[in-house]
Amino acid sequence: MEESRIAPPGRVAPDLPGPFPVGTYARKLQGWMRERARVQLIGEVTGVGRSKVQAYFELRDGEGAVPCAIWLNDLEKAGLEGAHLRDGAEVVISGGLDYYPGGGQASPNFCFRATHVRLAGEGDLIARLEALRKQMRAEGLFELQKQLHRPALPRAIGVVTAERGAARRDLLAGLERRGWGGSLIWGFAPVQDRHAAPAIGRALQDLAARPEVEAIVVTRGGGSLADLWAFCDETLCRTVAMLRVPVISAVGHERDSTLIDDVAAVACSTPTHAAEAAVPLDCLAARESLERCALALRRAGEGAIGTRSRHLGALARGPARALQRERSKLNQKIREIRAASERGLADRAASQRRIGTLVLERARRRAAGADMEKRRDALHRAAVALRAHEPERTLERGYALVEGDGGEPLTSAAEAGAAERISLRFSDGRIRARPEQRDEA
Amino acid sequence: MGESERDQSSATKPDSYEAAVERLEEIIDRLDSGQAGLRETLDLCKEGKELVTYCAGELDEVGEGLKELRLDDLATKLDTASEVG
Repeated sequence: MEESRIAPPGRVAPDLPGPFPVGTYARKLQGWMRERARVQLIGEVTGVGRSKVQAYFELRDGEGAVPCAIWLNDLEKAGLEGAHLRDGAEVVISGGLDYYPGGGQASPNFCFRATHVRLAGEGDLIARLEALRKQMRAEGLFELQKQLHRPALPRAIGVVTAERGAARRDLLAGLERRGWGGSLIWGFAPVQDRHAAPAIGRALQDLAARPEVEAIVVTRGGGSLADLWAFCDETLCRTVAMLRVPVISAVGHERDSTLIDDVAAVACSTPTHAAEAAVPLDCLAARESLERCALALRRAGEGAIGTRSRHLGALARGPARALQRERSKLNQKIREIRAASERGLADRAASQRRIGTLVLERARRRAAGADMEKRRDALHRAAVALRAHEPERTLERGYALVEGDGGEPLTSAAEAGAAERISLRFSDGRIRARPEQRDEA
Repeated sequence: MGESERDQSSATKPDSYEAAVERLEEIIDRLDSGQAGLRETLDLCKEGKELVTYCAGELDEVGEGLKELRLDDLATKLDTASEVG
């Protein structure tokens, strides 16, 4: 296919129209370009040069550049003196494409013919920044750095900043307050002109290439957005996003927000804050904490052994203590038994005494019983004998008993004769009588 | 934790200061809980002391005073060394 398009010797692309005279073509080209739409462009001015009638420069950003020219009278109308149209200035130009066809002696020239130029305002830069931000966020470039691991205690930190600046001093003070005394590798670079962004990018890449560097800080003091514009450079920010070492940005003051803040692993408001982000660990506090840990471990170890040895000691003393306890119990039992025994002996003696009394009583009673029997027999015999002598027995045999009026026995005739009345008692009763005369015996 | 695992864990050097501190906090928490037996307590104390030593060493590495170097000088030295080499 490609070979078929190669024109044979002596003929140049015979299927194309022409050949036309080049001057004619150049003039037609000029006309065509001038018909293109007029637009506004924004970018950084570089390579400013002047002729008698016009000024030349390139308008550039991270993506590309366009050669520009402006007639000096248009420049004057815009109110810009030569000092304003300088390298590094951010400007907005309006105009359109132009082409100078040259001539027999003059060289042709293509340019963007600016008819108006002004310094870029904050609004222009913010709009441009937002466009870049939107594009890079959509590409996922803001997340890459944030996924990197940031060591709590880096041994070496790279720093990109201006060699003479307050940011350098503040960063050092912040690191010293942290108690950090590792290696600090300075990658000095300009931080505010058109050379700044490429130089910062190179320093970042060089630092990231060093194996000992574990974090990189990029810092500069405050300024206008135009002053900080190098840190919104698209190429620089894409470089930062792709680095495998975490970058900590501290550009400008708290209210300033540059594109490098978006792509960095951490964005800080001040160099002091950046020092804390670069060394997340407060070394002084960490030493104190470590001492507390060591103490806790020592106490835990000693405590574990001490507690258990005391427990073991208590266990070892257990049998002796148990024996003592049992011995005490036994002694108590002995005392109780002794007391009970003494009480038992007394009770038993009393009981025995009672038993003895009962036995004696019974014996006595038994003894008394036999005596009574004898006595009863004797009594019976006495009764029998007595009864034999009873007057009734005599009376039963036919005798009579003389009694006085009062029942007193009258045992003599004299007594009977003397009594007025007498009573004669027989075995079957008595009769009353009056003595009449007494017979002498 | 098995015997071999325990030996391995106490002998392994931590990946980083953060990992060492994280493990140290776990150990202290476990010891504070009072649930570890004697053997585990002694093992944890041993491992903890090794971690404390490691962390102290790391802090010592960055505790000897800030050393300032210039990237330009380092690059020059590197170039000189490569030329000599």
